[in-house]
Amino acid sequence: MPKKTIQRRWTRAILGATTAMVLAVPASAEEIRVLINQSPWLDSFIAMIDEYEDQSDNTLVLDVTPFGGMVEKTRNSLRAGSGSYDLIALNSAAMAEFYAGGFLKPLTEIDPDVTVPENVLTFGGTTGWNFDTSSFSTDGTLMGLPINGNVQVLYYRKDLYEEKGLEVPETWEQLQANTEALNSDETYGFVTRGAKDSILYNFTPYLFSHGGSFFADPAAGDYSVTLNSPEGLEALETYISLAEKSGIPNPGATAQAELIQLLSTGRAAQAIAVMAAYSSLNDPSSSIVAGQIGTALVPTKEGHPHSSAAGHWMAGISGNVSEEKQAAALDFLQWFIDRDTQVSYVEMGGVPVRSDLASDFEGNPEFDFLPAFSANAEVSQMNMPLIEGVELRDIISLELNRALIGEISPAEAQNSAARRMNDTLVKAGYDVTPPTDL
Amino acid sequence: MSRFTTGQRNRIWRIGSLLPAALILVLLSIYPVFNLIDLSLSEVTWSGGQSSSSYVGLDNYHTLFTDEPVYWAGVRNTIVFALTAVALQMVLGFSMALSVQRLSGISRAVLTTIFLLPIVIPPIVIGAMWRLLLGREFGMVNQLLGAVGIPPIDFLGNGDIALLSVIAVDVWHWTPFAFLLLLTGLESLDEEVFDAARFDVTSGWQRLRYITLPLMMPTFLITLGLRLILSFKVFDEIYLLTGGGPGTATEVINFSIYRTFFTQDKTGLGSAMSVVTLVAVAVLIVIVNGAIRMRRKREVNG
Repeated sequence: MPKKTIQRRWTRAILGATTAMVLAVPASAEEIRVLINQSPWLDSFIAMIDEYEDQSDNTLVLDVTPFGGMVEKTRNSLRAGSGSYDLIALNSAAMAEFYAGGFLKPLTEIDPDVTVPENVLTFGGTTGWNFDTSSFSTDGTLMGLPINGNVQVLYYRKDLYEEKGLEVPETWEQLQANTEALNSDETYGFVTRGAKDSILYNFTPYLFSHGGSFFADPAAGDYSVTLNSPEGLEALETYISLAEKSGIPNPGATAQAELIQLLSTGRAAQAIAVMAAYSSLNDPSSSIVAGQIGTALVPTKEGHPHSSAAGHWMAGISGNVSEEKQAAALDFLQWFIDRDTQVSYVEMGGVPVRSDLASDFEGNPEFDFLPAFSANAEVSQMNMPLIEGVELRDIISLELNRALIGEISPAEAQNSAARRMNDTLVKAGYDVTPPTDL
Repeated sequence: MSRFTTGQRNRIWRIGSLLPAALILVLLSIYPVFNLIDLSLSEVTWSGGQSSSSYVGLDNYHTLFTDEPVYWAGVRNTIVFALTAVALQMVLGFSMALSVQRLSGISRAVLTTIFLLPIVIPPIVIGAMWRLLLGREFGMVNQLLGAVGIPPIDFLGNGDIALLSVIAVDVWHWTPFAFLLLLTGLESLDEEVFDAARFDVTSGWQRLRYITLPLMMPTFLITLGLRLILSFKVFDEIYLLTGGGPGTATEVINFSIYRTFFTQDKTGLGSAMSVVTLVAVAVLIVIVNGAIRMRRKREVNG
């Protein structure tokens, strides 16, 4: 065969193959770059990505970052001319800063028809932001969709409860009584997560369930500090009293990892911890008490409504990436909150973001946590629903921690925290009523 | 014939040869410091995805000196940390250097390697390792203490001893640095001085007290200065071991700066903290340099 003919055939073949390859990849195929935190629920999230990629032409690339570095990475990407991430996991403490800062693309600007489907949890209205009142609101601009419903729940040892004839506590007094009954040389009756980086989140349900609050009326934009109230003081005293009666000598240095370790090794009988810990606590390869862990609604003060702290993760879409990337990221999010996807997510060990899944798992002891999750999610509240959340978190955490370890009294801690919170808010331009010392 | 005289050519050469280094110094060292000072006099806010900077004068310094108790707790802890840790490192490092100097052959090589091991381990590994060792519930140190009937000690969670525990880890980590410098100093001492003094000194102690220590003084000062400056930069060990807690028990300057600058995003106040710390460290350098110069002057003058 003449040389020229062979060359032409090869050229045609290469051109044909290239055209076929180009046509085979749909125009919508995008690589979605995701910034996400290293967490107990990460594996289940990754499993869902595999499922999504099987059904979609889009692919996801994760940058898994320790919790401590998430805010900095998020700021760096969102403040840059061109973002490094298309989809960003936002923790409850920093959510307001990014919603209000104008860094995220409102979801309705990507697709005007997008809404939060019925039965998808909003965890205190945190899917939207009201720019007029500077507060979270489901009626505000839709800024994100939830990807993990990490509320706090009460964990307890079912076998020890049975052995001692204890009832699941409804009130703080009952929890205290159970703690005393469970305390022994080998077991801490109750573990408090009081380290500086954890205490605010851990203390939040105590405050709300005593009728206290951090701010006067966040929904209406009134951020006057109300932490140092008689209710707040009672909440902190209850918190410290439980920590002291639990028997653990260093509650002020106990963070999430230590708490989960104490529960999974059988050293602790009860604790208030994140829902995401459930899968590892019930996994025989990582817990000697697998199958013995029960979950319940976080207790409350007698006669008061229950409360849990929202520690969920939302996903927001960067404003500084291409429209194609934004559309692809929204496609993934909408798929992720779909009911069928959420059923799979729970099966993979994830913490759902919907309230209508319990019936799918009824009678399956592996998913016993769902009723407690739904009950806590329903009463979950944000502790720092404002732009200065990260800064205020540091201020309050330090003072609470100092009170817990006995460095200062509970009243001193709350007065000091309230004064410094007020100063910060005044400097930031808020119109607030100064707090009065206890 | 050249338009320049030899003197002018020499001057041009001197300036030309120094200029690149001077430019690099200005670009990499002096400009960032001026930028830091500029940032400390302003406040950066973000709105609509855009930043805006406003001049606030000395407001950030006023806040720092009147309303930042955590930073000042960090200053106190850093001073305690630096003085205690460096003093222990100097004593231990010198003892180790003396013992290694007297050895030779394989035993010297083995001991030197063992002594230097901690300094080559990355700080992140050191933090994780010691956190596991010192943990109250499951730490190996408490398990060993328990085996001999001693109740568990909360090394990292007890506010009274947390700083001491962190100092102990720092001593373990950085003593090899002092050891290395002091061993080099010992090796470089003039043997003739020791030979000449053989008839005047009658014991090892006298030899150490009257010959080795005075001759080693310049090395001591340099090692001390370097370690003091480096210990003011402590961050990773604290971050990994205690996170600055409990309370403010192990809070250090750099931890406050990190939290203010990066976590709280208050660049103005964080810069003011950095400038104050920079000045303090600069003063420390001047003092150490002054001590070294005075020592040299005394030696020259006999």
